[in-house]
Amino acid sequence: MKKSLLRGKSFSPLFLVFFLFLSCGVFMGLKLRIEQIPRKKVPGSSIIYIPTGKFLKFATFGYSSFFADLIYLWAIQYYSDYSIPDRFHYLDHIFSIISELDPHYVDPYEIGSLIAVYEARDLNSALKILDRGLEKNPDQWLFPLEAGHLAQIFTKDYNLAKDYYRKAMGIKGAPDLTKRLYANAAFRTMDFKTSWETWLEIYTTVNDERIKKIASNHLYQVKAAIDVLVIKEAIGKFRAKFRRNPSELSQLVKAGYLASLPKDFDGQDYLYDPLTGEVKPTTIPWKR
Amino acid sequence: MATALRIEDLHKSFKIGFIPKKKEILKGISFSIQEGEIFGYLGPNGAGKTTTLKCVLGLIFPERGKIEIFDQPHLSLQAKEQVGFLPENPYFYDYLTAWEFLGFYGQLFLLKKKEKEEKINYLLELVGLKKDANLQLRKFSRGMLQRVGLAQALINDPQLVLLDEPLGGLDPLGRKELRDVIVRLKGEGKTVFLCSHILQDIEMICDRVAIIVNGQIINQGTLQDLVQEKIFFTEVIISGLDEKELEGLGECSSVHGERILLKVFEEEALERVLSLVQAQKAKIHSLIPRTETLEDLFVEIVKEK
Amino acid sequence: MKIRAIALNTFKEAIRDRILYLLLFFAALSIILSRALALLTVGDRVKIIKDVGLASLSLFGALMAILIGTSLVYKEIDKKTIFTLLSKPVHRLEFLLGKFFGLVFTLLVMLSLMSLIFLALIFFHTFKIEWKMLIAIFFIFLELVLITSVATLFSCFSTPILSSIFSLSFYLIGHLSWGLETLIRKIQSGIVKAFVQILYLFLPDLENFNFKTEVVHGLQVPTKIYLFSTLYGIVYTLFILTLAILVFRRRDFI
Repeated sequence: MKKSLLRGKSFSPLFLVFFLFLSCGVFMGLKLRIEQIPRKKVPGSSIIYIPTGKFLKFATFGYSSFFADLIYLWAIQYYSDYSIPDRFHYLDHIFSIISELDPHYVDPYEIGSLIAVYEARDLNSALKILDRGLEKNPDQWLFPLEAGHLAQIFTKDYNLAKDYYRKAMGIKGAPDLTKRLYANAAFRTMDFKTSWETWLEIYTTVNDERIKKIASNHLYQVKAAIDVLVIKEAIGKFRAKFRRNPSELSQLVKAGYLASLPKDFDGQDYLYDPLTGEVKPTTIPWKR
Repeated sequence: MATALRIEDLHKSFKIGFIPKKKEILKGISFSIQEGEIFGYLGPNGAGKTTTLKCVLGLIFPERGKIEIFDQPHLSLQAKEQVGFLPENPYFYDYLTAWEFLGFYGQLFLLKKKEKEEKINYLLELVGLKKDANLQLRKFSRGMLQRVGLAQALINDPQLVLLDEPLGGLDPLGRKELRDVIVRLKGEGKTVFLCSHILQDIEMICDRVAIIVNGQIINQGTLQDLVQEKIFFTEVIISGLDEKELEGLGECSSVHGERILLKVFEEEALERVLSLVQAQKAKIHSLIPRTETLEDLFVEIVKEK
Repeated sequence: MKIRAIALNTFKEAIRDRILYLLLFFAALSIILSRALALLTVGDRVKIIKDVGLASLSLFGALMAILIGTSLVYKEIDKKTIFTLLSKPVHRLEFLLGKFFGLVFTLLVMLSLMSLIFLALIFFHTFKIEWKMLIAIFFIFLELVLITSVATLFSCFSTPILSSIFSLSFYLIGHLSWGLETLIRKIQSGIVKAFVQILYLFLPDLENFNFKTEVVHGLQVPTKIYLFSTLYGIVYTLFILTLAILVFRRRDFI
C-alpha cells in the first residue's frame, strides 16, 4: 500500500500544509481536553530532594538569585493550590532553600511565615522562617516585629513577643510602634518596671499629641497596676495581722504597711471596697 | 535512437552572502544526450558542471528549464530508477563494509535478496574489490572508494550513468581500468555522462562533448566536429643525421646524444626531411603529427572568455 | 520498505556513536548512586531510588535524543553522503522518516537498557518487579519521540550546535508551560489575553507526559488522561514531522 502511495507524485505541498494545520488544531484541542480532566497533582515534589546547605548556592552557577525567584514563584502557586492536602509538609524546607539561594530576598520570609501561620496553623514554622530571615538580614527590623506580632496574636505568648519586640527595637529604622508594642508586651508579662520605663521614655520623647496621650494612658495603666499590687500586698499583710480588711486605705499607712498612700497618675485616689478588699483606679485609662 | 537526457534552457541562481546577493550559475543550458553514447561535459572550475548534474538528479531545483530522462520528467521515480550517479570525492558511510554498503543501496531499489547478492558479487568483481568485500569503508583508500562508488552507481543496472570527475585522484592504472569499464558500459548499451577535467581521457573515450564556461554552453558536438584535423606541425625524432643538414627544414628542439627532435612545420619540408633520411640511411625513431587537441581548443575557448 | 532500510542504516550509525554510551554510563551511575542517596533518608528509601531513577531516564534520554538527533540529517548533508542517497528513487520524506525512525529505535534500545538497570535496582531493594514504573517509562519514551522529531526538524537546516540549543529550548518551554498558565490568569481579558492563551495551547506541554510522581506515589490516574496524553504526543510528533518534510522538500543541496 505504501509503495503505491509513494510511487506517484510526491506529496503535494498543499496536502502537507493542510495536514500541518489539521494536526495543529488537533493537538491544541487535545491539550484543552486534558486540562479539563481533574488530575491529582503533587507537582514538583521532586523539589523536596534538593538538599539545603551552603553548597546549594554554588551548585546554581551564579544564578542563585534567579533560581530563588523561580522556586519562590513556584512555591506561591503550590501553596495556593488547595487541592494538595499535605502541601505544608515541606514548607520550612522549601523556604529554607529559597533563603539559602538568596538570603536577602525579603518577600519569601514574610510570605512564608504568613502561609505557615495562617494556612498551616503552624506558628513554630513561621517563627523559624522569620528567625532565619533576621539571621541573614540583621538590619531588617521587619522580621522580629512580624514575629512578635504573630506570637502575640496567635498564642498570646507575650514573653516571646516581648523578646522579639526588643530585638526589633534595637535595629535602626524600626518604627516607633515597635517600642509601644514592646512596652505593652512587657506589661502583659507583668514586667511593670520595664513597661513603665519604656512608656515614660515614649511619653517624654514623642512630639505627636495623639501618641503622647496614648503613652500617658498606658502610664496611668501601669502605675495603676503597680500601685494596686503594692496596696494589695499591704492589705494582705494587714489582714494577716488584724484578720480583717482595713476600712480605709489610710489605715494601711497608719499601720505602717505603706509608706504613703499611692495616688494614680492623675493624682487621684484609688477606689477601695473594704468588704471585698478590691482596689481599683477611678477611671478607665482610655476614657481619660 | 532514444534521447537519454534532454536539457532545455536550464537556469539556476543562488543567493549567497549575509545580505543575499543573487549569483547566476546556470544561464540557459541546453543540450541532449543520445542513448548509447559516451558524453563528455567539460568546463573550467566553477563553470556549473556539478550544478547541472545536481539539477538532473533532483538535488537542486532549477528556476527555469526542462529536464527529461528517457522522455520522462527527471524527478519521477521511473526516471530515477534508470539513473546511476557517482559524485565527486565520494564519501560514504564509513562504518559499513563494502558488502553492507552495496546491500543498503540495493534495498533502496527494492531488490530481492538473491538478486541483490548476485549483483553485488558481479559489481565487486567488475570494479576489482572482490577481496575487500568485508572491509569497512573507513579503511578504504581514495581509489578504492572511487571504485566502490562506481559499484554503487551501477547497483540498479541503470541505463544512464552520471559520473562527476571520476578519474581525478586515480593512478594511471586506475584511470585505464575506469576507462575500460566505461567503454564496457557503452558496449552493454548504456549511456554515460562524464564530467571531467582530464581532457586526454575525454578525447579517448567520448563520442560527443559539450563545453560549459560561466554557466553557458559554448560549444557542443562530436570531437571531430569540434577539433580541427589541421596539422600544426610534425615532430620527428631522427638519428644519424647532422644538425646542420637539417637546418632550414624545421626547428631543432633538443638533442639527446645522437637523436635529434625536429619540429617540421610545412609539408614539403617534411618530405625533404624524409628523403634526406632515406638518402643518408639515417633512422627515424618517431614521426608524430601534432593536430589540434581538445586541450588546445579548451584553453583557447576559456581564454576568450 | 525503503524507510525501513534507511532506518536500519541510521540505527547502525547511531548505535556506534560514543556519546550514547557515555550518557548511558552516566545514567547508570546516577541510578546506582541514588542507592547511596537513599541511605541518607529516614523512611521509604525506595522512593528516592524511583524518583532519581525516573528523572535520570528522562534527562539522559532527552540528552541522547537531542545530541544524536541534531547531527542526524546535518551530518549527511555535511559529509555529502546525502547526494548518492537522494539520487536514488527515494522520496525526500522517506529519507527523513527513515532517519527519524532509526533514531527512535536507537532510543528505544537505550531506554530499555536503562530501564533494565533501574528495575533491577528496585527489585534488589523490594524483591518485586514494579510494573507500574513502566507506565512512567512509556510516557518518557513518548516525550523522547517528540524531542527526536524536533531535533530532526532543526537538523534539516541548522548546524548541530544551534539545533541543540533550539531543541533544548523546546524542552525547557515544554516543561515551563505552567508558568504561562499562571501568567494567563493574571492578564485582563482582551486581545493580549486571547493571544497568550492561543500561544499557551500551541506551545508544547511536556508535562503531559510526566507521570513520574503519580507512579511513584501510587496515585490513581484516570485512563482518559493516559489516552489523551498519548494521542497528544503522537499528533504533536506528526505535526513536527510534517513541518520537517515541508522544510526539507525543496531544499537545494549545493
